Amino acid sequence: MHVVYPVVVSALLFSIGVYGVLARRNAILVLMSVELMLNAVNLNLVAFDVWLRDRLHGGQVLTLFVIVIAAAEVGLGLAIVLAVFRTRRTVDVDRLRALAEVVRAPDPGRPDGEGAS
Amino acid sequence: MTAVVALIVLLPFAAAVAGLLATRLGTRTERMAYRRAAWFAIAPGAASAALTVWLAVALAHGTGVSEGRFWSELLPGRVEGTLTVVETGSVPISLTLRADGLSVLAGILVVVVALAVQVYSVGYMRDEPRYPSYSAFVSLFTSAMLLVVYAGDLIVLYVGWEIMGLCSYLLIGHWWEDRANSRAAVKAFLVTRLGDVGFLFGIFVLGAAAGGFRIDDVLRADIPRGTLVAATLLLLAGVAGKSAQVPLQTWLPDAMAGPTPISALIHAATMVAAGIFVVARLYPAFLAAPPTLDVLGVVAAVGMLGAALAALAQDDLKRVLAYSTISQLAYMAAALAAGSDRAAMFHLVSHGAFKALLFLCAGLVIHHVGSNLISHMGGLRTALPVTFWTMTIGFAALAGLPPASGFFSKDAVISAIEHGTGPAQPFVYASALLTVGVTGAYAARAWLRTFFGPARIEPLPEPPPGVAHVFDGREAPPSMLWPAGVLAVPALLLGLAGPAAGVEVEWGPAAVSLAVALLGAGIVYALWRAAPEQDPARLLGPFRAPCERAFHVDAVYAALVVRPVLRLARGVVRADARVVDGAVRGSGRATLGLSGLVRLAQNGNAQLYVTGLLAGLVLIAVAAVVLT
Amino acid sequence: MSWLPIALVAVPLLGAVVSAVPAVRDRAVAWGIAVSGVVLVLAVALAAVFDHARPAGMQLQTDRPWIPGLGLRFHLGVDGVSLPLVVLTALLTFLCFVHLAGHPPAGGRPAALVVTLLVLEVGMIGTFLALDLLLFFVFFEVVLVPMYFVIALWGGAGRRAAAVKFILYTLLGSAVLLIGLLVVRTQAGTLDMVALAGRHGSGMARSAQILAFLAIGLGLAVKTPMWPLHTWLPDAHTEAPTVGSVLLAGVLLKMGSYGFARIAIPVLPEGAAALAPWLGAFAVAGIAYGSLACLAQRDLKRMIAYSSVGHMGFVLLGFASLTPVGLNGALFANVAHGLITGLLFFLAGAVKERYGTADMVRLGGGMLRRLPYIGSLLTFACVASLGLPGLAGFWGEMLALLGAFSPAAGLSRPLFLVFMAVGGLGTVLTAAYFLGMLSRVTHGRVVENVPAGPLEPPGPPVATAEGVREVLSEAGEGAEPVEPVATGAAVAALDREWAEQEIARASAVAADEGEAGATGAARAHGPGVADAAEVGRGRRPFGDVTVHELAAWLPLVALIVLFGLWPKALLAVTTPAVQSLLGSGVAP
Repeated sequence: MHVVYPVVVSALLFSIGVYGVLARRNAILVLMSVELMLNAVNLNLVAFDVWLRDRLHGGQVLTLFVIVIAAAEVGLGLAIVLAVFRTRRTVDVDRLRALAEVVRAPDPGRPDGEGAS
Repeated sequence: MTAVVALIVLLPFAAAVAGLLATRLGTRTERMAYRRAAWFAIAPGAASAALTVWLAVALAHGTGVSEGRFWSELLPGRVEGTLTVVETGSVPISLTLRADGLSVLAGILVVVVALAVQVYSVGYMRDEPRYPSYSAFVSLFTSAMLLVVYAGDLIVLYVGWEIMGLCSYLLIGHWWEDRANSRAAVKAFLVTRLGDVGFLFGIFVLGAAAGGFRIDDVLRADIPRGTLVAATLLLLAGVAGKSAQVPLQTWLPDAMAGPTPISALIHAATMVAAGIFVVARLYPAFLAAPPTLDVLGVVAAVGMLGAALAALAQDDLKRVLAYSTISQLAYMAAALAAGSDRAAMFHLVSHGAFKALLFLCAGLVIHHVGSNLISHMGGLRTALPVTFWTMTIGFAALAGLPPASGFFSKDAVISAIEHGTGPAQPFVYASALLTVGVTGAYAARAWLRTFFGPARIEPLPEPPPGVAHVFDGREAPPSMLWPAGVLAVPALLLGLAGPAAGVEVEWGPAAVSLAVALLGAGIVYALWRAAPEQDPARLLGPFRAPCERAFHVDAVYAALVVRPVLRLARGVVRADARVVDGAVRGSGRATLGLSGLVRLAQNGNAQLYVTGLLAGLVLIAVAAVVLT
Repeated sequence: MSWLPIALVAVPLLGAVVSAVPAVRDRAVAWGIAVSGVVLVLAVALAAVFDHARPAGMQLQTDRPWIPGLGLRFHLGVDGVSLPLVVLTALLTFLCFVHLAGHPPAGGRPAALVVTLLVLEVGMIGTFLALDLLLFFVFFEVVLVPMYFVIALWGGAGRRAAAVKFILYTLLGSAVLLIGLLVVRTQAGTLDMVALAGRHGSGMARSAQILAFLAIGLGLAVKTPMWPLHTWLPDAHTEAPTVGSVLLAGVLLKMGSYGFARIAIPVLPEGAAALAPWLGAFAVAGIAYGSLACLAQRDLKRMIAYSSVGHMGFVLLGFASLTPVGLNGALFANVAHGLITGLLFFLAGAVKERYGTADMVRLGGGMLRRLPYIGSLLTFACVASLGLPGLAGFWGEMLALLGAFSPAAGLSRPLFLVFMAVGGLGTVLTAAYFLGMLSRVTHGRVVENVPAGPLEPPGPPVATAEGVREVLSEAGEGAEPVEPVATGAAVAALDREWAEQEIARASAVAADEGEAGATGAARAHGPGVADAAEVGRGRRPFGDVTVHELAAWLPLVALIVLFGLWPKALLAVTTPAVQSLLGSGVAP
């Protein structure tokens, strides 16, 4: 099989992942999109490893690394999302603007970011 | 010999320093301080006077290079000495003192009148506050005027010139409790300062052209005519300022707010004559620039007649004398314009004597009556006999009646004007003759209304500040009478010394001017006889009011110069706060605004940040691919 | 003897460090007097050891490598141009400490003030001694932080804003100055001022010279200050304490103009020739503008600040003429201005301490009756400042005007004649505002609006606040409860007249800085409220001169008279140095 096929699939998967990271509002979906991006990278690595006939199989080794890191990162990420949900009652990324620089008059009785999500 | 000249200048300066710093050291009472101040004032002044006489004798016996000036036969000697030369980087300044016939002539006038005034002031200012500082400033003034007279370098002359202006300011404002006196002093200083700016620029032109500021170098240098005309015109600005000529004459009448001895010394005999003296000193340069002399003649013609008419309409005795001074100085200027510095200097010395005499006598009258106004005076002939006779001599000299010195000196001036050439000469001559008549008129008016007619003395309980003393029954202390008497002598007899100085009387013009003067005096006498209580100035009719206001020149200057400048000043302050500083504050605001714009990117949305990251990454990748 | 310049810089630094020791901190002001006295002695020794026969050459030099990687050397030295300024700095700092001994600062913390002033002295003297471009820049910057603290901690009511404006504005100027210096470095390859001055600009392209002169000139112009970069000066001077104002006006302003004489003109002659007309134009604009602004001022210190803008205009005009006589005049005017304006600010500080205000309307009048010695000294200082011949201020102005009369070849003569004429008119305006101020403040009756009664013979002056309050209450007018100054009726009438301008200015200031606090509000309601709040700070009993004040002022008076009557004392030292700095490149 020519290397084009898995590389194109990988690129498509990566693009879908980028779209998900930049455009989805739900934090969990963002995390899933990040997973998608990482797996696309994995596919790319394996495909090139086979095509280049690397004797040390650097691509496949790096794939294993990426799988582990992705798993750890998703675990941590989900833990953060759960903590945010517990305090803010929302995981809408658009609502989580506490790091913004624009000084807005604080709404009394409504912590930042709460409301209809 | 130069040391003598230096001493003449420095003795009054030392007197001033001692008077300012040392009068109250160790004295317990005010009287003691005053007495010490009087000694500080009079002793060095007398020593200076004695040294001046000695210098004059030495110069009379001296031999020197004849320069063909009018004093070269009488006082041929010359003394000059340089202390040091100051390298400025271009034109050097030499600290030089120089004494020749002209300086000694003016110098004698200065020291005699200064001494008379200092003695007079001891009586006049007896119960006045701040007499020690007053006499110290008079000494400082004397020193400055002597520096002008004996300066051998233009910058040294300028230093003395300006210090005179400062002393004039300090002394006019002597009774500063009344803000009007303070304002008059400021006005005097500013008007003369304006003229002095032009004077300094004229000095620059001469010094740069001659390569040095020494007067000798300047007079000997070969300077192109255009440069000379420019330089002398600029110098005229300073002369007009200091000698109260049109258009800078408005300060002199207001300067009468100062004590009367000051008016006698500064604003009659010496400082105002300094301008005439400078022109005489640099006369070869002026002679080589005829356009300047024409301008001087026109200015003098306008000034002499205008001031004489104004004098006729004044009610304040001192203001009459002030306008009279402007008019007489214009005579001297006209003589210079006509080409005769001899006549101008003769009139300067004689005018110095009789005008100082008139002011001192006016002081005696004011001291007695308690008011400056002529309408408060009358019938003082019996109450003030000495004053009456001396003031009569003064008025006679002013009007130009023989045998007083004014007759001879005025004749010399009128003859010089008659012989003068130049496009403006007829105008100047006509103006001079008319002025003779008006002078006779106002002199007669002042004389008659002060000393004759019904007595109108009401002893005022509290004279306003600016007028010394109250009615105390006797004429005056001797310290005030003696100086007046001493000055009456040259006022009467100086004219007879004229022929010895080479000034001959031309009987034709003399007769004409005498007739005109008597005509003016006669008209006033007739009007006065008809109605002794009324003012003979009513002959001016509807012109009385403009004449009294000196043709509203003051108001014009206030509207054209003073108020716009003050408005401009307020505008500048507003512009500074709003525009210039506004730009500075605006830069701060702009920076804050810019940072606000940049902050818009920090809206807390993590996805926006990642988008930015991605965009940057893509750009870098594209750049890397394209550029390599 | 070449250790003298190093000692001049090291002694104040060590003195500042040692002031932190607790034993010294309790007698901080005495320690300050001692240290600055030592510095003054060293400076006088420097003047004595200086070879007055060769003032053109650099003497007592120290040249050690400092940062070899940058080519930076520790190069100190003194010649005819810097010697007077070094002695002036040492003298003014010493006199400030003497003044401080009798008049403790209003904000307290005298020990901190002593440290600050000593560090300031290091920077000031170092600037005049440095002979390496970046070393000059380092010392130039060192003075900014102490002066910021002096204004911000010990200043008047609006001190925060004034201090921030001062430091940000001058820092911006310094940044531009640094760019210029670095351009010189890259083009000429060296940082050594002596070598650069000796080359007279050969080896640097004309466009590079113009660029460098523009940058260096702008940076120095902020410090000088040159119109229109002057607006930090009035606020800084008005809000600074007395010693701060004296050092700011007396020395810091000289650092800017010294930079022109030492760096900008000798090192970049073609740049100078190209930009001299602009320099002259801005200089005379400053003269005229400063004088006009003074005519309409109400606050005494602010008026003196604007007069500094005018005087430095004469200095810059002298520089712009690019002739030896013009530079001579500029350097003379520098020293004279340092002495005279230092004295003026001392006097203004004395007036403010006694009356509680520097506002001329509230001061009323009659100071010559109330405080005869201070009034006379104020008259003397004003007369000296307006440039009367016979006192130091005249020679600088005259020589600068003479320089403008015949500027260097290659400069437009008619243009410079116009500059000269405007400068001359500026002297008339200067006389107008100073004499007007004297008339308002020192002349007139002591208490206005007292009903006219029989003239009393001049009795002993009313010396205490209580005495004047008694007089006021007898008169039955609306007496001001706190200050023994002009009665409320007179002040209120004039306050209304000026309120509009004050509100406009205050609202502009308050809006920009967002300070809705006491200062802004008080200013909008008129000066009374803010003044009353500040009145408690640093008032002293209402007496005439004290011993400390006389000790601080008399040396200045003596030097003003000395240099006025004997200008050769200064000109003999500067003329050869100036001629060598200008070299043969620019003909006189």
